[in-house]
Amino acid sequence: MTKLQTFWGSFRMSLLHFFADPQWIIPNIIAPFIFTVVALVLFRNVSGSVALYAVLGGGMMGMWGNTLYGSGFALAFDRWNGTIEYVLATPSRLVWIIAGRSASNAVLGLVNALAIVAVVVLAYGSMFAVANPLLFLLALILTLASLSALGVVFCSAFLLSRSAQVMTNGLEMPIYVASGSMFPIALLPLWSHPLSLSLGPTWGIDAMRYAADTSYTGLGFGYWTDLLVLFASTIAYLAIGFWLFMVVEKKVRRDATLTEY
Amino acid sequence: MATRPEKAITVSELRRTYHTSKGIFRKSRQVVEAVKGISFDVEFGELFGLVGPNGAGKTTTIKMLTTLLTPTSGTSKVLGYDIVRDVVEIRRRIGIIFGGERGLYYRVSGRENLRYFADLYGVPLSKRDKRISELLEMVGLSDRADDKVESYSRGMKQRLHIAKGLVNDPELVFMDEPTIGLDPQAARDTRAMIKQLVQKGKTILLTTHYMFEADELCRRIGVISNGEIVALDTPDGLKRFVKDISVIEVEAFGVVDADITALRQRSEVKTVSANLDGERQTVRIQTPKGSEFIPEVTKILSGAKIFDIRTKEPTLEDAYLRLVT
Repeated sequence: MTKLQTFWGSFRMSLLHFFADPQWIIPNIIAPFIFTVVALVLFRNVSGSVALYAVLGGGMMGMWGNTLYGSGFALAFDRWNGTIEYVLATPSRLVWIIAGRSASNAVLGLVNALAIVAVVVLAYGSMFAVANPLLFLLALILTLASLSALGVVFCSAFLLSRSAQVMTNGLEMPIYVASGSMFPIALLPLWSHPLSLSLGPTWGIDAMRYAADTSYTGLGFGYWTDLLVLFASTIAYLAIGFWLFMVVEKKVRRDATLTEY
Repeated sequence: MATRPEKAITVSELRRTYHTSKGIFRKSRQVVEAVKGISFDVEFGELFGLVGPNGAGKTTTIKMLTTLLTPTSGTSKVLGYDIVRDVVEIRRRIGIIFGGERGLYYRVSGRENLRYFADLYGVPLSKRDKRISELLEMVGLSDRADDKVESYSRGMKQRLHIAKGLVNDPELVFMDEPTIGLDPQAARDTRAMIKQLVQKGKTILLTTHYMFEADELCRRIGVISNGEIVALDTPDGLKRFVKDISVIEVEAFGVVDADITALRQRSEVKTVSANLDGERQTVRIQTPKGSEFIPEVTKILSGAKIFDIRTKEPTLEDAYLRLVT
């Protein structure tokens, strides 16, 4: 119960802060939306998978941006407020606090993604259709879970660093590109493929495309294999995140770096 | 823990060193010994004070006892639990109240702040909202509970800090300079709340810079200087350190640093403290000579305009100054 209470309390507090600070809407809602609309305008004479790349690319941008910035700032925010010591002095494990905050950011990303899809369907209905909405939704939810888990892993590193902002800025585009959100990873250099394939969202995006477009061939493993890899990688991220947080929590108590920023 | 331990806090030879570095390309590492093997106990229901100058090791000690920092060596038990091994058990049972403006989520309401920390402390949902309402009532914030914290005055924020520190109904509360930066009325209100908590049976470890506050509140006081406890006694016991001296207090205008140096160089003078800011400066001189030394003081301060000069009984502040200088 306590873990759930910690998770839910952190989820709720994170949402309250999001709505209390409207400037977050710019990078997390408006920018991905503009990105999608621009892509659609550029590809307005095409249909099928190209339109799909544009829509999913914009949606992923919002979801990943939310998760990354959310996890990066989850603790930087507490450092700025001077609340980090109070938070860490509670009996709750930090990993559940961060998991709650990351999940709220991913849900905000989902809202953003759904808003993009809704607007695109209304404006360009003939270009974008999802063949199997249920499978699409399942892949979308699992991709969000994977993004949250990835956020937990990154956040443990951010706890050690005073430069979370620099790190989040540096990580946003590489992961976005490597996961094949905007264009197929086959277009990327061969050496980058292992990185792409180690990212859960790569498989999630691929599964969503399978669900949306019956003619899609993608990575070539099929919808359910994609989902299995996505699920396994999410579990692996969570395990890594839990382990890292244990190590990092001990380290910050030993090195007295909690309040430095 | 089946039985209640004898002491609320036991500290034995606690030590903490920090490693710092300076320079960019040719870094040199430095070891700073912030706490140098201190030992003391705190009884249940006691309000124990730790006083000392900035950098003396008070906050580092509190951080170790609240499990935010691991000690370099030594042992300590809080409510019978080891501060290194039993981190979660300790955290469940203690409250932390630090002074200062920060430490609250400004963009949400006071009630939401308390609710979040209640969740992090695992306060049962059946009790949570009732306890929050009671705490808000206790600190006099019921009317403003749903306003954003950013609209609170400094005193209101400190009252919210106190409510936050009590949200898990702790047996033991750590307070680090809880009245720092407060106006006199808000500081007085805070002290009244601290007294109330002791009356309710809470054990409190308090650090403060204000000697009159320590004198008013604490049953025993540990004076910490350069990472070591240099004295530990009741306020009256500490005042006995300066029973052999009198204090000459001067109110004046135009006293300069050279005057203070001249006073300090006199063999009859034990310590001198001075507040030279503002139009009404105060200088306190500890001397065993008492009123006999007043003519000498007048001579040394001849360049200044003296409004008042008199001898006074030494206070806890005089004892403190003797111990830390």
